[in-house]
Amino acid sequence: MAGAVALVLLGRAPRRPRRWAPLAATLLVAVALAVELWAGGTLGTYLTGALVQDRFALFAKAAVLLAAGLAIAVTDWSDEGAPAIGMAMILLAALGVMIVASATDFVGLWAGLELAGAAGVVLVSVRRADLGLRLLVAGGVASALVLIGLAFVYATTGAADLSTIRRVAGSASATLPLAIPVFLLIGGLAVRAGLPPFQFARLPVGLGASPLGAGIVIGLVAAAALTVAFKISAALVPLPAVFSPYLMVVAAVAMVGGGAAALATRSPRARLAYLAAGQVGWVAAGLATHYRIGLGASLFLLGAFAVAATAGPAVMAGADAGEFALAGMGLLRPARAAGIAVVFLSLAGVPPLAGFFGEFAVASAVAQSGGFWLLALGLLGAVMSMAAAVGTLRAIYLQSPPDESRRAAGARLPVLTRLSTGGAVALFAVIAGCGVFANPIISLADQGAEALGLR
Amino acid sequence: MILAGIALASPTPAAVPGAGIFTSPLILSLSIWVPVAVAIGMNFIPNPRGRYDTLMKQIAFFTNLGIVFILFIAYNQFQTFLPGMQFEEKLPWLPSIGATYHLGVDGAGMTMMVLSGIIGITAVLASWGVRERVRSYFCLLLLTQAAVNGAIAAHDMFVLVLFWGAAIIPAALLTLGWGGPRREAATWRLVAYWGLGTAALLIATMTAYAASGGGSFDMDVLLKATLTPRVQLAVGVALIIAAATRLPLFPLHGWVRDVYSDAPLGVSVVIAGSASRLGAFLLLRALVASNADASRLLAPLIAILAALTIGYAALVALRSVDLRSAAAHLAMVPGAITAFGFAALTPLSIAGSVLSLFTGGLAAALIVATAWTLSDRAQTRSLQLLSGLAPRMPILTWVFVIAALGLLGVPLMASFPAETMILFGSFKTQPVGAFAIVAGLVLTAVALAVLVHRVLFGEPNHDAPAVSDASLGETWYLGVMAGALLWVGLFPGGPKLPGTEQPIFDPGLVNVMSAGLSDIASPYVPPNPAATQ
Repeated sequence: MAGAVALVLLGRAPRRPRRWAPLAATLLVAVALAVELWAGGTLGTYLTGALVQDRFALFAKAAVLLAAGLAIAVTDWSDEGAPAIGMAMILLAALGVMIVASATDFVGLWAGLELAGAAGVVLVSVRRADLGLRLLVAGGVASALVLIGLAFVYATTGAADLSTIRRVAGSASATLPLAIPVFLLIGGLAVRAGLPPFQFARLPVGLGASPLGAGIVIGLVAAAALTVAFKISAALVPLPAVFSPYLMVVAAVAMVGGGAAALATRSPRARLAYLAAGQVGWVAAGLATHYRIGLGASLFLLGAFAVAATAGPAVMAGADAGEFALAGMGLLRPARAAGIAVVFLSLAGVPPLAGFFGEFAVASAVAQSGGFWLLALGLLGAVMSMAAAVGTLRAIYLQSPPDESRRAAGARLPVLTRLSTGGAVALFAVIAGCGVFANPIISLADQGAEALGLR
Repeated sequence: MILAGIALASPTPAAVPGAGIFTSPLILSLSIWVPVAVAIGMNFIPNPRGRYDTLMKQIAFFTNLGIVFILFIAYNQFQTFLPGMQFEEKLPWLPSIGATYHLGVDGAGMTMMVLSGIIGITAVLASWGVRERVRSYFCLLLLTQAAVNGAIAAHDMFVLVLFWGAAIIPAALLTLGWGGPRREAATWRLVAYWGLGTAALLIATMTAYAASGGGSFDMDVLLKATLTPRVQLAVGVALIIAAATRLPLFPLHGWVRDVYSDAPLGVSVVIAGSASRLGAFLLLRALVASNADASRLLAPLIAILAALTIGYAALVALRSVDLRSAAAHLAMVPGAITAFGFAALTPLSIAGSVLSLFTGGLAAALIVATAWTLSDRAQTRSLQLLSGLAPRMPILTWVFVIAALGLLGVPLMASFPAETMILFGSFKTQPVGAFAIVAGLVLTAVALAVLVHRVLFGEPNHDAPAVSDASLGETWYLGVMAGALLWVGLFPGGPKLPGTEQPIFDPGLVNVMSAGLSDIASPYVPPNPAATQ
């Protein structure tokens, strides 16, 4: 938060931030991540119990900080209209997800979700005010649905505290007054995350926003919505009938719709957004299993998703002009190309990257819960996603770079800096390493699910 | 008697001198991860304007040579009298879901690894003519080979799914980037069919996992769990779909024509030679060796698919007007014969199928590579133009004839004992299928005879473009495959010192593949009436 405020003030200063600002912001996030990993293992409550530090919060916060840090590092800052605002907004969006991860009641969930969404609106508006307005309206619809849902859950259970709701749900039965608000709540979260068929705001924003703005909307805002879904699912786990069927439908539509749309579109940014939507569907499928292994697998996949979807648009830089903007990237910017390749492959669930490991773990949980129809639909979406990823890899590695004189403005090559090259290499290492060395990470995710009180 | 001896290999055959002395716990991992490491490392070598393209080729060649050397050590050190897995490696990977990094090979696995090694080096030699984006090409080729080796060595279903799926992307990119005029169609068909196969494999794995209580993905646990007949049937059908997309079997063969005709030669060799054999290997490992009840239940289905595949492939080859397309369809025949051997479910037919994994891979790769090279040298693929080439292409004529004979399984070829064992072993349990397979083989023989007669020994076509014979490089890669087919055909038990039964330097593929075979075949040994009285 302090970093974000400092960066906003820096942006207002007469002397604009220089080249060191992105490096400083990356280091700030790296320090925050180190502190989180070092001290976050200790359980504790803050603000008179409004926020809690447990293994779930530790995992989610670490993943979001990693995603934000990598996104800042790989961003081509010469392409961002207001670098200081950009850095501040991604930090605020990450803060929003962290608040959600630590929240113990509806207020915290609501505040974190809105903070992440608002940060996205601000950054998108810097480049395209019309898209910012569109995102604001869509966010308003999502907020209204989420608010109504939360209010009615509160009215039905008599509590806004998640642990109390869980206690009440343990002694109650599934009723329509509880099922309807949960339906609205999940619908609101789906709109907020921009899942198919609610991508009316997310797709144009994904195409028109600055790379970092697109990263916030596609990655961090969706991660915030998913983290809320984790908390709500865990609170209502004694009554799976009120949320599990909705999540299954959302997951099925997102997985198949995301894969099909990714295959159909030619724009890399839109393709990335749809692949991300497909992976959100996998996370939702894991949540629908409503037991610990499923939620643990989903949490692991959420981490992989957050990193790939947040840093993905940033590492693609000026690829909003179309697929030809990526042509020959493997030759011209090999490190950045490797980063883009692993982002697409991980979001498509291709082995042996982090996304595959997460989706495999979710698939095993879905199979154990008997949801074979959901698994079959997910695999259908995964095959389409894989084909879509091949299309992008072709542009990166197999097509010749376009003539420099004919490069459109949107297809200009990202500026080569040590930070962005290092960030792209780190992104590659994180996504590949999370797969090969998945054991400790997935164990931590499992502990995170256990911290939500699941057995 | 000889065939029966092979099928029911004695548990204590003569060991090769020195077997078992060197047992590195990392042999299998090296064959998987060395190509991956080299592929990644190649990206760090500066290559301005393709200046070091030859170096890239040499790196890929020597990497494969190194892997062949490692595999040769493994092959020589393989203890043919041990029934279980050898060179095992086991590490926890995702303990929360029961996934382990478990590798190991038995006789059949070692046979596949040898095949993969030979095919790997052949593919690099066949790719020597690549001129564009050389580094990317050889990186992707090495990654494909690594994925194939990983799928062969996998002894955990999680690892198998991982490598099975990982082979798709590099193979697709190779086809898309370096293929012929129909490369787009070839790529998307490859991704669609192989993707469907991966999805089917994953569904089979997950069904078995869920039904067995979700404790482990280890093949020893997962595939041998007690499942209800309904679950066994579901798992078996999904496995057959996965195998049929990869092998391929009719009607899931849609990628064959385009990929074998339009993928670059080295890639066609890898896919026809080793990657597609994974389908049959899956049938062996996950169905025949693990679940006798489901195997018996689904054997007729596999037999029908195999018979249809051979008949269809031969008929299409007969009617084809494109040499590469004809060869692509003929390359489906060995896989179908292998699958039929597994459907017959007798010790003799299973042994024949295991040997056929090796011989079929070589024969399929050889026919595809020969057709590819011949059409390249003749500057046309059209069978209406290709005619009477034998006098002008003596080397390619010899290789083409060897490929045809290898495909048909005539004596002196390695495929002869394999096909004979399959057919002899199957007449009791699958008599109708065996007749159908024989009829299909007769059709295949007709198709090959017509093809050989027309292309090589017919009237020369003076309107056809100028032709030239195979170059030295082309002779090498074709010769390696033809030589391997002949070597195993001549010395199935390895070369022996005169007057002794002791094999020297080569323990004999038949001895190696027999390791563990009696365990696999034991549920299918017919009851001995004398023993029951």
